[in-house]
Amino acid sequence: MEYVSPEGLRLDGRRPMEMRQIRAEIGTVARADGSAVFEMGNTKVIAAVYGPREVQNRSQQISDQALVRCEYSMANFSTGDRRRKPKGDRRSTEISLVIRQTMEACILTHLMPRSQIDIFVQVLQADGGTRSACINAATLALADAGIPMRDIVTSCSAGYLNSTPLLDLNYIEDSAGGPDVTVGILPKLDKVTLLQMDAKLPLDIFENVMGLATEGCKAVANYIREVLLENTKQLEYRRGL
Amino acid sequence: MEEKQSGSPASLIDSTVVPGDVVLDLSSMTNQTIKLGGGLRQDCDAISVMKAGTLRFSKPNKYWVESSQKRYTPCVEDAVLGIVVDSKADNFLIDIKGPVLAFLPVLAFEGGTRRNIPKFEVGTLLYLRVVKANFGMNPELSCTDASGKAAEFGPLKDGYMFETSTGLSRKLLSSPTCPVLEALGKKLSFEIAAGLNGRVWVNAATPDTIVVVANAIMNSESLSGAQQIIMVEHLLKNIQ
Repeated sequence: MEYVSPEGLRLDGRRPMEMRQIRAEIGTVARADGSAVFEMGNTKVIAAVYGPREVQNRSQQISDQALVRCEYSMANFSTGDRRRKPKGDRRSTEISLVIRQTMEACILTHLMPRSQIDIFVQVLQADGGTRSACINAATLALADAGIPMRDIVTSCSAGYLNSTPLLDLNYIEDSAGGPDVTVGILPKLDKVTLLQMDAKLPLDIFENVMGLATEGCKAVANYIREVLLENTKQLEYRRGL
Repeated sequence: MEEKQSGSPASLIDSTVVPGDVVLDLSSMTNQTIKLGGGLRQDCDAISVMKAGTLRFSKPNKYWVESSQKRYTPCVEDAVLGIVVDSKADNFLIDIKGPVLAFLPVLAFEGGTRRNIPKFEVGTLLYLRVVKANFGMNPELSCTDASGKAAEFGPLKDGYMFETSTGLSRKLLSSPTCPVLEALGKKLSFEIAAGLNGRVWVNAATPDTIVVVANAIMNSESLSGAQQIIMVEHLLKNIQ
């Protein structure tokens, strides 16, 4: 099947280096301490953060840092066919672990010993790149909750089909069987916190694809910064500062 | 988005900052002592931001980030509203919306002795003062002021408690009085206790006054000063 036409257009009309349209909203879950909705094209994800608060399970308490828990689930209606088990299946457990490790790397957990931070991400619409959208949403939710962080974490995926590196794969391109590289970075510190790939890639092509995904992350970072700055300015303005 | 120069701190003061922003470069400021408040951390020679908010500076050398969240970071001498979660032999365990539960010693009351320990049920709302807030330890509270007198601290009876952000609580406690309280005070008579931890308690003679005051305060979270006054007028028109 042709994923990149001879004119250089993908199935949804994008160019190989083009990301899908991103949109973010902060403070959508009133009950949570911090929350955000993040959309990458048709993929829509909601994240809610609770904490830092008292640890609920005393045996899991860590004496010198905060305990970070993350739960990833997909809504029944998020994919084409209705899902039977939204969480608890292997893919969800794996992604929960991945998101937890990525966010834990940037939260300054040593500032809140013996407390707990819960991150809940739920996919409302899945069209490829749910992992990245979840990390981006979690970053915004953590910043909204005022949890101290080293830097914001942004994530983007890239693949390689029809001998072309493609940025931000959607579901059809992702299920094509080609490699899917997901990168998570701390943009200001220029550090990588997440790097995952399925399938195989020769090393030189991998460098290109990872570089492309990193560029995508930086573009997301610019957008997330703008959204955060705008949201914070609004809060200050309303408080009359 | 332009990159702000990290070497010129003056350009970022009073502007909004986001985690990861570098606000000061210590290598260009030798022989100076600076004090870092909340929201900032030191990473070798760079001072970077941990929380999204506004960067503030006060002479001669204090920098901090002012932000508003739903959860509270305990600080000494803050007045907070706590809810009793459990009672132990020596302390009550109080939830003050912080990272960990706080302790209220059973003797921390005016004229408190082993013979007249108060009995608080789980769920009692108390107005308290933070006595100790050391890093890594549970905060300690007290129902007396610094000199040992009760001074309005203690259980709050009747009334209605609701939660706000820490920014709004600071605004309610600021002087000059914030516009929404002034506008309400001109027409209604009520009593409020605002805790810096994002909890506010309201009491008045009739339930509808309590509801109007609570709604007015909750609405004022997202309104500017002038808009708050208009909103209060609107609300009062509907009940009178």
